[in-house]
Amino acid sequence: MIFQRQRETGKSLRLGFWLTLCLLIAPLLIAAPVQKVPISFDRYHGYTGTVDYLKKVARAYPNLTSLLEIGRSTLGRPIYVLVVSKMKTGTTIDAHVTLRNMRKEGVKNVPPMKPYQGKPGHWICGATHGNEFTGTEVCLYIIDQLVSKYGQDKTITQLVDDITFYICPIVNPDGVYNSVEKSLPQRQNSELKDDDGDGRVNEDGYDDLNGDGYITLFRYKDPQGQYVIDDQDPRLMVRLKKGEKTNKTRYSVIREDKDNDGDGRRGEDPERGIDLNRNFPEGWFKDNGFPGGSGDYPTSAPETRAIAEFFTNHRNILMAQFYHTSGGFTFRPLGTAPHTRLHPKDVAVFDFIMGKKYLEIIGEKIPEAWLHPERLNEFREKLKKTSKNKYAIQRGYELPRGWRVSYNEEKDRRYAYGMATDWAYLQYGLYSITTELWNPVKDLKDFPKIKDTASRLELERALLKYQDEKYRGKYFLPWKKFRHPELGEGEIGGWLPGYRNNAWPGEPLREVCEKHWQFELYRATLLPHVVITKATAKVLYSGSGGTAQAEKKNDTFTIKKTSAGSKVKIIEVTAVIENQGKLATHVARGASLAGNREDAVWLIGDRDKIRFLQGTPFQILGVLEGTMKIPGYQAGRVSLERSTTSRRFSRRFMMRPGYPMGMMFFRRRGPDRVDQPGPRRTVKWLVAVEGNPPLKIVVTSQKGGTYVKTITY
Amino acid sequence: MKRKISVKHWLGLILALSFLVSPLSWQPLQAQKKKQLSPGGYHGEMDFPLSWKRYYSYAEWTKIMHDLQKKYPHLADIQSIGRSRMGRDQYLMTITAKSTGKAESKPAIWVDGAIHGNEVNGITCSLYLIWYLLTRYDYDPYVHELVNNCTFYVLPGFNVDANDSFVRFPNTPNNPREPFRPEDNDGDGLYDEDRTEDVDGDGELSVMYVEDPHGEYKLSPDKRRFIPVTDEREEVQRFRRIGPEGYDNDGDGLINEDDIGGPDPNRNFPYGWNLQAGNPYPLSEPCTRNVYEFQLAHPNIMVTFHYHNIGRLIMFQAPPDVGAKTMSSEERQRYQQMVQERLAELRKTNKYAQLFDRQVAPEYQHDMDVQTQIVTMGARILKNYRPVIAGLVGQHPASTYYMLGAYSYLIELWGSPDFDADENGDGRVSEEEYLKWIDIELTGEGWIMPHKVKHPDLGEVWIGGTPRKHLRRTPPWRYIEQEALKNTHFVLYCASQLPRVEIKEVDVEPVTQDLYWIKVTVVNDRVYPTSSDRAVQLKRAVKDKITFRHSGNIKPLKMSGGTAVLDFQNPQARFTIIPPQGAEFRLKGKDTQRFCVLVQMKGSPGWVEFTVKSKMGGTAVKKITLKK
Repeated sequence: MIFQRQRETGKSLRLGFWLTLCLLIAPLLIAAPVQKVPISFDRYHGYTGTVDYLKKVARAYPNLTSLLEIGRSTLGRPIYVLVVSKMKTGTTIDAHVTLRNMRKEGVKNVPPMKPYQGKPGHWICGATHGNEFTGTEVCLYIIDQLVSKYGQDKTITQLVDDITFYICPIVNPDGVYNSVEKSLPQRQNSELKDDDGDGRVNEDGYDDLNGDGYITLFRYKDPQGQYVIDDQDPRLMVRLKKGEKTNKTRYSVIREDKDNDGDGRRGEDPERGIDLNRNFPEGWFKDNGFPGGSGDYPTSAPETRAIAEFFTNHRNILMAQFYHTSGGFTFRPLGTAPHTRLHPKDVAVFDFIMGKKYLEIIGEKIPEAWLHPERLNEFREKLKKTSKNKYAIQRGYELPRGWRVSYNEEKDRRYAYGMATDWAYLQYGLYSITTELWNPVKDLKDFPKIKDTASRLELERALLKYQDEKYRGKYFLPWKKFRHPELGEGEIGGWLPGYRNNAWPGEPLREVCEKHWQFELYRATLLPHVVITKATAKVLYSGSGGTAQAEKKNDTFTIKKTSAGSKVKIIEVTAVIENQGKLATHVARGASLAGNREDAVWLIGDRDKIRFLQGTPFQILGVLEGTMKIPGYQAGRVSLERSTTSRRFSRRFMMRPGYPMGMMFFRRRGPDRVDQPGPRRTVKWLVAVEGNPPLKIVVTSQKGGTYVKTITY
Repeated sequence: MKRKISVKHWLGLILALSFLVSPLSWQPLQAQKKKQLSPGGYHGEMDFPLSWKRYYSYAEWTKIMHDLQKKYPHLADIQSIGRSRMGRDQYLMTITAKSTGKAESKPAIWVDGAIHGNEVNGITCSLYLIWYLLTRYDYDPYVHELVNNCTFYVLPGFNVDANDSFVRFPNTPNNPREPFRPEDNDGDGLYDEDRTEDVDGDGELSVMYVEDPHGEYKLSPDKRRFIPVTDEREEVQRFRRIGPEGYDNDGDGLINEDDIGGPDPNRNFPYGWNLQAGNPYPLSEPCTRNVYEFQLAHPNIMVTFHYHNIGRLIMFQAPPDVGAKTMSSEERQRYQQMVQERLAELRKTNKYAQLFDRQVAPEYQHDMDVQTQIVTMGARILKNYRPVIAGLVGQHPASTYYMLGAYSYLIELWGSPDFDADENGDGRVSEEEYLKWIDIELTGEGWIMPHKVKHPDLGEVWIGGTPRKHLRRTPPWRYIEQEALKNTHFVLYCASQLPRVEIKEVDVEPVTQDLYWIKVTVVNDRVYPTSSDRAVQLKRAVKDKITFRHSGNIKPLKMSGGTAVLDFQNPQARFTIIPPQGAEFRLKGKDTQRFCVLVQMKGSPGWVEFTVKSKMGGTAVKKITLKK
């Protein structure tokens, strides 16, 4: 519907538009001739278009993608995740360990892992809020870049081979469907709930009064109204401040709506339900024990639960991006709690590494302190004199506009309850961020300079003028007289829903997509990558084998053969394991979170032919550091991290149920630990083998990947 | 007020009137068909014969539920509230007399059993409650009235996957406890890969030992147990303890180190949830989510029971402790001492008396008082059970009280058999006394003698020296019914204390010859209020409401509300004036509230009818006639 309208109104514009598009795309086409599923960003895809695209891509690229339905919305629309990764590469530990003598009961509760779960994972999702669907477009753009440049672009090819992208363009299908397909802006999910308790469900929502296919605004004269017409642009409505007096005609402004069920109220039982980004389990309760987030309980929404369940079952995810709109900046954690809950090392990774790159990409000034992390103390002293923000003083810098936290540091107040980004960082140990896409001032070309950037009105005026000139006014519906069945005479008009806080289709949207794709591409290159760089077997003994007995007489032992056997070797196996990625295999406290674990390495062979003389069959490696030096972070704290991790591990290990009562604390020897710092571990085993059974080393890192090496001896 | 009031003149008439108005009960009771009042008479047990001398598998107890429903369709409905992880239906039975109203319209008690897979005693206890209510309905007037007036939602098996596994397969007393979410306990990257196995094939999961000259154990003189070697020099065959029966399935050198598991379902509820205890996220397990969704959708649930094993505890939810935050340690000590002294005083006349060291905010005092009264009776009914204030860390009862406003009780069923086994009266049961108990009270049933078996990973092992299943955590069959019966009584007591609003009396006090105060007394004589303090704080409470109708010749004087003093000798006794649209209020437990209206009557006769509506306490109606 929207797009038909656009075509009618802007023919010549369209022509020019296509020309520029062709010019823009031409070089891309040369570089990437294999765009098997063409995609354009001249219109929003909405739910239907997105699903259609995902299915086509999954069909066209079976070797690179896999389409998963991870759950369904309240109204039954599937939530899709497109896995983008080379399907033939990758392995998981469960494919290498053979289990035997299994319990006869045979409960099959553990599904086999997919090979792509053995690679580091990068989660990107859009449209948690249904009306913020620019993120959906960025997701589709990223998918297109990954699949069509695979085999062409070296970096991308390597990334798709080595890591797994989990891309969920639409977290909130019902919200997007209503916002795009029905032009009814809906931030929340849908809920089959009788809001007004009249026994009917969702019977009174917004209405397209004039039948033009959009839910815009209705304004009418009202002596009690809170709005007046703007002096400069009579199309804009200005909200009066509380208690502000005026001589101008007062107006009330409502969304297009009427009383559908005759109860005297408008829109009191709409389809919209709860805010999904307030439904996550982190900081959902208020400090006084009453609910603060949305929904009946954390993860009560099927959409939220689908995400939580997916993260639980895909522990390889380390990077996460939750796209929202708008503003053109990124929220890194935290919003539900002060910054001090972040480990200083993660602060450094977020700010000095990711934040710096982000500011470069969006073209904003990088704080002085980030460029000179070695002078942080100096900056701290300076800030003590100028800043009232205790967290900034602690860090040594104020967070810039483009890279910030949603927590109100000056007032020491949380932003909201139950947000996804905080949850993903604090409970799953992910480098999770929320980018608020689309800043028209920056993302629209030749956008006039605004004097007062903080003023929404200034921006609206400029935007309106800009779209008059460059877009023939197609994003703003001029006010037209309308007689409201209940409120009488008035006018319908205003911004077309969806265009006020989403990147405008065409070049602006493509620009937004490209910038943020570049940023995620950069973040993907930071992921850990655990490999076995060296695996050797040194034969210390090779002999006939068989069994023998020693008989003792005084101090003399006589050895007697008891049976013959095959050849026996004593082998010393040495493996060097390295994290070749830039970041460590967990965020600072990530390994100690329930459900996460430290990196481990197995030596696997035919069980009946191998005896472990030194070194347990699997050994715990701790967390492998990355190759990148983390600026602004002193590594003195590493010991602290390790101790918390190991304490947790041993406790869980000792107190597991399964022991008879009174014997809960029974001790036993666990796997060996390899306590070595840095990104490299040298692991040794001493084994006795019978015959020549093949041996392989499998290193399994939850977020750094699984890697196998066969040893010959 | 010039006219003289002839009070005496009216008094006789009013008295006569109040006799005419018959007391209306809140629910119409029906004649009970086979009422039995003799404690030695027949109470319906054999109408549906059922053995309470064993544990039932999932297939069996769900069949019993269905059969009971078929036999008593007018009292019971059965539904699946959802499916478990492994696809088993979670069957819930709703019990109430359908003839007296819909289940949702009555105050309800929720009972669930065995949220921990191994605590299957909860299944028998809640199944017993179902059976007791249904079979006795026609015979027992107490049961009859409760089933007429309240609803019982009973979910015998909560964690159905683990429940069934525990009953049907060899298991230790502690496993399987959790729902079957895959979990990597040992950090090797594999999930649930090294579970327990019945190595000797005797249907029991005991403990394995290997012979080891440096071991820490030896056989006891009676050869029934493995006991620690205390004297290092003692020359005796020694053993090393391996742990529960099982194999090394994954070849990592460890046995049973990654058993089937997942989060503790009783740490998986939203209130007070934390990641380490209740991972991966609140209500992540299908079984917990189904239950909570059901409870959310049924706001008539006022009381919840949750059966666990073991310890003989009544773990009830109490309002938040404000004393802990506001008092200094000295004040705290003094307060605790005061509580102890008052309790000692109370115990002089009632050995079951309870008082708890918890100071709550004034707006929660009533909840604290109600819970204290209820668990005092609980201590009496359950005898050796001890009431304690329950925890808040993601436990189910914490969510039902703190998020839904229902009074909740976690019952730890069964415990040490000290009442039978404690020979020397020291209050504890030693190992020797325990074995004697097995020999005498259990006639030797329930011990696994140490015996040798071949083990593929360890060579020769010794297995045994432990009780069989259903001895330590779940009671042996001889004790099932005794435990179930008294727990059923406690649930019924709570049901009998669900709120009931009554209009106790209506009185008329003439001001002039045609202007009268009509006074109404509304009473709830039960322990539970019509809504809990917590429900009020959560804004989930529905207020009680009193309204009145009257004949055409009667005109109430328009007053905006507030209270009135009608007895000038007693200005404390205030009456709430009922405005024309009615007055909203909240009846607490054991509460009386007084209302009044000032009416003018022209001509005669006239009538006034009062209606009290309470979501939890039912409806009460009383009509009076006025004659001049």
